[in-house]
Amino acid sequence: MGFKLDYLLSILPALMRAAAVNIRLALLIMLLALALGTALTILRSRKIAAVNAFIAVVISFVRGTPLLIQIFIAYYVLPAVGLDLSPQVAGVSAIAFNSMVFVSESMRGGLATIDSGQIEAATALGLPPRAIWFKVVLPQLFRRIVPVLINEATIVVKGTALLSVITVVEVLRTAQQIASASYRPFETLIGAALMFLAINLVISLSGRVAESRFARSRI
Amino acid sequence: MHFNPALLLDYWPLLLQGAWLTVQVSATALVIGYAAGIAVALIALMPGWPPRLVTGLYIETLRNIPFIILLFVVYYGLPFSGIRLPATFVGTLALALFASAYYAEIVRAAILALPRGQFESARAIGMSPAEAMWHVVAPQILRTLVPPSTNMTLTMMKESAVLSSITVPELTYQSLVVQGNTFAPFEVFAAVASIYWLIAAVIAECSRWLERRVGATQAGGVSRNTIAERYLSLVARRAS
Repeated sequence: MGFKLDYLLSILPALMRAAAVNIRLALLIMLLALALGTALTILRSRKIAAVNAFIAVVISFVRGTPLLIQIFIAYYVLPAVGLDLSPQVAGVSAIAFNSMVFVSESMRGGLATIDSGQIEAATALGLPPRAIWFKVVLPQLFRRIVPVLINEATIVVKGTALLSVITVVEVLRTAQQIASASYRPFETLIGAALMFLAINLVISLSGRVAESRFARSRI
Repeated sequence: MHFNPALLLDYWPLLLQGAWLTVQVSATALVIGYAAGIAVALIALMPGWPPRLVTGLYIETLRNIPFIILLFVVYYGLPFSGIRLPATFVGTLALALFASAYYAEIVRAAILALPRGQFESARAIGMSPAEAMWHVVAPQILRTLVPPSTNMTLTMMKESAVLSSITVPELTYQSLVVQGNTFAPFEVFAAVASIYWLIAAVIAECSRWLERRVGATQAGGVSRNTIAERYLSLVARRAS
């Protein structure tokens, strides 16, 4: 039973169709994580002691437990408390929640690099807080965390493979289905690995392009 | 619904067994992965392009595919080449392989971050090569090595949860067994998450101790990507 390249090539179209699911889910997760992460960053910057203490515990939990366990919690625990989610919705929520924390943490790191004089100047000019956030702080912050966001995007893409465990039909699950019909798991899994490799290399490359563009525009 | 931890009373030994295996697997993967990582980093730093190309391919491939797929490839690939090994063994090996790519990057960056001429200067003031390595070079490399290595070790420990999918009876696997027996998802996952949380806290505490000993300058956070973070701090320094 040697490695059959022609078999691998024959299943690539099916895996590519499944990869579209991963890309779609990852996009959705990144958008959610960005929006929620930004909201969380703004909320934390208000320095309400009780709220920040609670957020600190949530962040510590997300960082200290495996993503797989977080996915299981969304999939098994939420229905038990009356929230009946489909596997896809549960999985997307779990990864988005996880990613939100890391986005918010890197935004907080980036926040320290923004000259406080700008915020003081904006306040002195009488800009409302909302305008200061959306016109002064966030545009700079997003630019600064581009490398972190690119990296987070590749982590999210890899995270979508875990959704196969809760029966979401994506690349890995499709690969397993094909393998159980053909009894050729090795080639099939290599095919799945290639899908992720391709997606993530495209993300890294486009990230590098975006970074050099930002770097140029800053000068 | 009510929260009733007493449901788990009979299953604590199972969960603790799982936790112990998680610790064992992570510790083994740490040792093997770090050794492999150092080897890859040293090869990457060799002169000429072929070593850089080969190690670059190794690192980028391992970093860009999900660990669960890497695990399955190894798990199905070994019997494919006629090698049959127990799942725990294969899982630990795959985890070490996964971690080695990240450790290699960390080690390579730490060596490159060392200012040039440190070794020569130490030799010039009369230290023997061994003394120069031990008193001048090694402490500086260690200092930059510890914080990102901690982050990676934490990531790797959490990633070990995926071994449950090839039936390694670690903590996550046992949690699914207990969940199947008790139908008490809330209690089971609260307990399991707490155990992982505790293991992570112990690792973080050990590394803080290590950081104090080697005098690491960076605070050891739990961020995901040290390279991206280093970039951020670079940008920050340029901006200020």
